[in-house]
Amino acid sequence: MATIVCEALTKRYGAVTALDALDLTIAHGEFMVLLGPSGCGKTTTLNLIAGLEEASEGRLLFDGRDVTWLPPHRREVAMVFQSYALYPNKTVFENIAFPLRLRRTPRAGIERAVRAAAEQLEIAHLLDRRPHQLSGGQRQRVALGRAIVRNPAAFLMDEPLSNLDAALRLSMRSLIKRLHHQLRATFVYVTHDQAEAMTLADRIAVMRGGLIQQLDTPEGIYERPANLFVAGFLGSPPINLIEGRIEDGAFRRAELRLPAPRAEPGREVVLGLRPEDVEAPAPHLVPLAGRVELVSPLGSDTYAEVSGPAGTSLTLRVPKGWRVREGEGIEVGVDPARLHLFDRATERRIA
Amino acid sequence: MSGAEDRRAPPPGRAAARRPVAPRLGRGLLLAAFSLLFVLYVAGPVAWLVSSSLQTEAQATAVPPNWLPPEPTLANFEAIFRAGERVVTYETRRQGDPATGGFLPTGAQNLLPSLRNSLVVGLWVAALNLLLSLTAAYAIAVIDFRGRRATLYTVLATRVIPDIALVVPLFLVIRALGLINSLAALVVTYLAVTVPFTIFILISYFEGIPRDLYRAARVDGCGHWGALRQVYLPLSLPALVAALTFAFLTSWNEFVFALVLTQNVEAQTLPIVISGFVMDFTTSFSFVNAAGVIAIVPPVLLAVLFQRYIVSGLTAGAVKG
Repeated sequence: MATIVCEALTKRYGAVTALDALDLTIAHGEFMVLLGPSGCGKTTTLNLIAGLEEASEGRLLFDGRDVTWLPPHRREVAMVFQSYALYPNKTVFENIAFPLRLRRTPRAGIERAVRAAAEQLEIAHLLDRRPHQLSGGQRQRVALGRAIVRNPAAFLMDEPLSNLDAALRLSMRSLIKRLHHQLRATFVYVTHDQAEAMTLADRIAVMRGGLIQQLDTPEGIYERPANLFVAGFLGSPPINLIEGRIEDGAFRRAELRLPAPRAEPGREVVLGLRPEDVEAPAPHLVPLAGRVELVSPLGSDTYAEVSGPAGTSLTLRVPKGWRVREGEGIEVGVDPARLHLFDRATERRIA
Repeated sequence: MSGAEDRRAPPPGRAAARRPVAPRLGRGLLLAAFSLLFVLYVAGPVAWLVSSSLQTEAQATAVPPNWLPPEPTLANFEAIFRAGERVVTYETRRQGDPATGGFLPTGAQNLLPSLRNSLVVGLWVAALNLLLSLTAAYAIAVIDFRGRRATLYTVLATRVIPDIALVVPLFLVIRALGLINSLAALVVTYLAVTVPFTIFILISYFEGIPRDLYRAARVDGCGHWGALRQVYLPLSLPALVAALTFAFLTSWNEFVFALVLTQNVEAQTLPIVISGFVMDFTTSFSFVNAAGVIAIVPPVLLAVLFQRYIVSGLTAGAVKG
């Protein structure tokens, strides 16, 4: 178990900068999720932490010890891959035992540790099989077993659930969360799936283009996105973004007018409204009216695509208990405090 | 669709009604004919080699030829294995009559030593080739070091030059090293021929092994040697067997370098000695063919021994699937 500190960690491939002076401190026992689209540098970060790639610049510290130039097999980290990466020529038992054998653990100790890990992951009955005889979910359990069987400084997970089908992904997600609670170890988890990030993380680092866009708790990132990219990346369905400008303490776009008292006048801005931040109209709320174009019931919720004022097209969650029909009008209430404002030029949050 | 079924040709009158049968029959026959032709083409010379080695010289050179030995005889093989016992004097130098098969070419006693030389050289080449190529291919395929591409292209460029152009320079180098007429000279030379090609084969095979397996092995605690031994070796068995076979056969069949670099029975290999039989004043074809049969035994054994290893699909189940 370890505190992992990245200091100005940089990785360049020729002219391409995959990771640009990353500063990141992952606390002991923390579950850190690196979230971003492909090519954002999240996997590169993981590879650098594992030692599978060499940093172009910067330092990496485990518990204060400089490990920047330490080869992967001496860093004591465990890794789980999207492709499972089980050794196809070894049985499940041997796959899990492999890290222990390399550490010259006594035979009895290996037997005990492998059995314990297998019991914990409910794969004890599969120990004699080979990887190709297993299903995807079983394979990923074996890969987890191979990681937890020793006592690594950190668990590194590279999109471990991306190859599994939706139902399995949910159960494996809670399995990983349970493992984190039981092991109290440092987890670094790479994903492009916002739901995984939100459910698993203590803190999320949203990345793009080799830079961290925002580092915060899941709630923080969702409630106060630092810029337009983060706002657009998290949330499903995605946040509604409306361009306009600030006039007389309000956001204005043609006839659309929403209060924004703290923003400086004359500024070109983008307003963000999450689909779920609308309610039934009430005195303390600002009314918002439009015409329902499309209704998408999901069972738990119903979303409507609404053509709103000033030529906007909005996705809104229909308040509980409402019945809406396509082609009919709709009026909802918006809490001004839940609106997000971004500067149109810098794309940064302003309120 | 079996061949027997195809041969049930329909009566002429009904051929039109069952149209698909005729083309199918034609195709089957054509396939069978060409397969047969191909087998004859490939196996014919070998069959004749074996058949004539079991005949006397008179039978082997008869017109029309005896496709099968009329009275199979092991006299040629006996002559080969007894050649060493014979004392050649001025009087006995013409012993034996080519027509009866008892004829022994000069140098016949060199056949068995050269067989041994060929085996020794071939095994060394196969083993060292694998050792050198394996490590080189791993480094080039897996480790991202500066100059990796340049290394690969340099290795491949050496194979663009025809061997014959290398004969004289190699001769000079080997002579300078004082290795002329030694097995070591052949081993070194053959490695120069086989290693670049083997590196190339192994690199493309290694690159087919999922990179995540390498990452997993390194993180699990393997150094580069460990990753090579624990992941790449077991998963590339078919390629290793192919490399081993390739190196042995190249060495076994090589002629030009051996001709230039060796001078006598100390180091001459089988192809050199056998070719010497044909250049003699009198050629005993049955004897030469018997020598030929002996020459193809080791490669055939090798093929039979290793054929079951040349199976792919070993990586099935390594990654998603």
